[in-house]
Amino acid sequence: MTKNFFEIKDVDFNIGGKTKVKNVSFSIKNEGEVICLLGPSGIGKTTILRTIAGLEKIEKGSIELNNKMLSSKKINVEPENRNISLSFQENSLFPHYTVEKNILLGSERNKEKKDKKISLEEIVDLLDISNILDKYPHQISAGEAQRASLARSLITQPDLLLLDEPLSNVDQSFKEEIQVRLKKILNKLKITTIIVTHDSYEAFYLGSKCGIILNQELKQYDDPYKVYHFPNSVEVVNFLNRGILIPAKVTGKNTLENGDLGIIEGNFIKQYPEGANVQLLLQPEDLEHDDKSNLKLEVVDRKFRGTNFIYTLKTPSNNLIPVFVHSHHIHQHEIDEKFGIKRPIYIDHIVCF
Amino acid sequence: MKFNSWYLSSFLISFVVLIPIITVFTSFFESTSNYYEILKNTFLIEYIFNSVALLISVLILTFLIGTGTAYLVSFYKFPGSNFFKWALILSFAVPPYIYAYSLTAFFENYGTAFTILKSLFGDANYNKNIPKFDGMFGAIISISFSLFAYVYILVRASFLYQSQNLIDLGKNLGFSKLKSFYKIILPAARPAIVAGLSLVAMETLAEFGAVDFFSINTLTTGIYNAWITFDDLAFANRISFFLLLFIFSLFVIENLSRRKAKYHFNARGGFKQKEKFKLSGNKAFFAFLGCFFVFFMSFLFPLSQMLYWTIKFPENLFDIQITDLLLNTLYLVFLSSLVLIIFSLISNYGNRVSNNKTLNILSTLSISGYAIPGVILAIAFITFIAWFDDNIVKSLGFLSIKKIFIGSVLGLVLVYFIRFYSLAFNGIKSGYEKINISVDESSYLLGFSKRKTFMNIHVPFLRNSLLFVIILISLEIVRELPITLILRPFNFETFATTAYISASEDLLEAAAVPSLFLILIASFFIIVTSKYILREPND
Repeated sequence: MTKNFFEIKDVDFNIGGKTKVKNVSFSIKNEGEVICLLGPSGIGKTTILRTIAGLEKIEKGSIELNNKMLSSKKINVEPENRNISLSFQENSLFPHYTVEKNILLGSERNKEKKDKKISLEEIVDLLDISNILDKYPHQISAGEAQRASLARSLITQPDLLLLDEPLSNVDQSFKEEIQVRLKKILNKLKITTIIVTHDSYEAFYLGSKCGIILNQELKQYDDPYKVYHFPNSVEVVNFLNRGILIPAKVTGKNTLENGDLGIIEGNFIKQYPEGANVQLLLQPEDLEHDDKSNLKLEVVDRKFRGTNFIYTLKTPSNNLIPVFVHSHHIHQHEIDEKFGIKRPIYIDHIVCF
Repeated sequence: MKFNSWYLSSFLISFVVLIPIITVFTSFFESTSNYYEILKNTFLIEYIFNSVALLISVLILTFLIGTGTAYLVSFYKFPGSNFFKWALILSFAVPPYIYAYSLTAFFENYGTAFTILKSLFGDANYNKNIPKFDGMFGAIISISFSLFAYVYILVRASFLYQSQNLIDLGKNLGFSKLKSFYKIILPAARPAIVAGLSLVAMETLAEFGAVDFFSINTLTTGIYNAWITFDDLAFANRISFFLLLFIFSLFVIENLSRRKAKYHFNARGGFKQKEKFKLSGNKAFFAFLGCFFVFFMSFLFPLSQMLYWTIKFPENLFDIQITDLLLNTLYLVFLSSLVLIIFSLISNYGNRVSNNKTLNILSTLSISGYAIPGVILAIAFITFIAWFDDNIVKSLGFLSIKKIFIGSVLGLVLVYFIRFYSLAFNGIKSGYEKINISVDESSYLLGFSKRKTFMNIHVPFLRNSLLFVIILISLEIVRELPITLILRPFNFETFATTAYISASEDLLEAAAVPSLFLILIASFFIIVTSKYILREPND
């Protein structure tokens, strides 16, 4: 069995004497992989990054990087000796140095590395910060400061890069472009990276794996597709907020029945005995629109998202169901109108709790 | 918690600064000589009465002068208003004892006032018509004109940070200018007024030179007399104990009043720069006259009096060794600044990296050294060294260390360190507060050790704060009298001690030369720092 490049084993993450996240174990198999940690604000994501960076200590478990023990109850390698770079959410640039000098201070770290993979110019170009190089941190916007801080972290070419909400202050219009560039840089430099974010879209795009932290625990650690489509707990479903749970009864090996929607067919992710009462996860893309269908539900809300509409429909038993419809859909329905659902209902993967 | 070297150093520094306070408090329980009984039955009530009377009068006067001038230069434009803005802080260059010499020199029989009248109106006995500013009245005037700038600086800063919105609110409520001042402007500046007056109170209670010159018996001069006349250190410390209790209660009141509420707007958001109202005609003239009177009285008057005597009695210029005095003063300034800056930096950094509650409490206590009168510090220091020498050093069989610390530059610098530690510590701390802790962490994560972070990141960032602190310390040391007087080595004089010794021998003319040099050096330091002291919201 090959050893993981990075591994956390059964660690409690504490800050200021309080345990924020308990019994965390996860690993990054190969060097250069990018993973994301998702969770609501204040849950302890930053504490995890600070601990990995060596800024906080652990009392239980272990943290290993590239076959080297960094933290355990007995061992604690100082932050300056870890070759781990952390880009903080808030501005942590040195206030008395220009942006350029700030970034160059980062390049001092691994200057002896002969196989330099990226130059200052390349990083500046990729993050589009050439216009702020001669400015001081107080003269630039929060978004620019975040990019400058990111540049400083990247140029150190660390063994492990930790990014705490790296794009939270970047303008929405520019965010997607920066996400693309960031992914490109990380791929190019093959820097193993852990990104913390509360934005699930960002996590699904940037990470090859996503960890969901809720209620002081790492609830799920899997690839983004599985996290989204096969959430392993009701808490994860509620956190991702991309579907609802409705009551249903298992009627066969591939079927179940809901009082409002009737028979639903599909593949169960987990088998339940016939007759079992379950909570079925319905995601917006599970149901299809069909005006000719005799299954009609009342429209209570409609959100226009550019590429699509999300209709919220009310069932006779007052469940609110989200339904995804393509943006070019011509039969638009107003609130209070009836909305047809295609029958028979077939869901590719049935997730129940 | 890790007890690293930074933690230990800052713990030790805080402990050293606390020694005099501990000494005063432990000496309270020691037996004293008969002097205590004599004093209790005779002068103690007078000491207390004089201290309180002096304190209240000075507080009233400095409040009126400080707040009045701050209001004029902050809210109005009139001829000279920009000049007075910084010229008024020059009063710091004249310590109360030098002011006292000037006041006496001008108004005494056959003094400068007499000479002026004689040259204008010919020979006559003007002495009986010239008012006499001596005794308690002289002390009140001297201390007030020398210290009002504490109130002026803090209240002016508070006025500057009052948003135009606040003034507009007054107008909107239909208040007159006077009503706005009493109902809005003055209450909003309350913490600054209390803070300024607290500093004035501490300095007044600590004042030695001026009250001694006017022969007023206060608790501070009582402490000095208990030591020098009756050689009773324990009793000196007993009076110090009561005086310290009084000062600490002022200290607590000041801190509580500052903590209570947020009285000004932050620089960002909600703050609207005030527009100064332009005065014209009589109003402009009276505003100018008011500020000029205060500037003249607090700075020009003592400066010109000292200058006049220096010119009138040029032989005094050669009687004193100006170069020696200058070198001695600069030597003390250099050594003390160096020690204070190095240790305050270490202590601040130790506090920052340790983030330890005990250390924080210890630091807060140790910065109270500034509130302790110099006389008390010097005497407590002598008491401690004597105790340490008798009980520890000698019992271990070592030679006496008294000579190393008492009557030596080392002892002097050590007590200056205790006295001015809060200036240096707080000055550097305010610089440090501008550096987010994540800056340190970023530095560690870039591979910088704690030492390298300190040298490469903190010190360059704190450069301006350090410069400001050095100059403030220099200003204080140039003016300092009682500590230098008590602890200086034999035949080692500064401008301050030379002026004091000449004045106490009734040789006021001879006191003029060192006083003049002292004022000039102090003025230089004030002008250099005025940019920082008078910083405005937009700077």
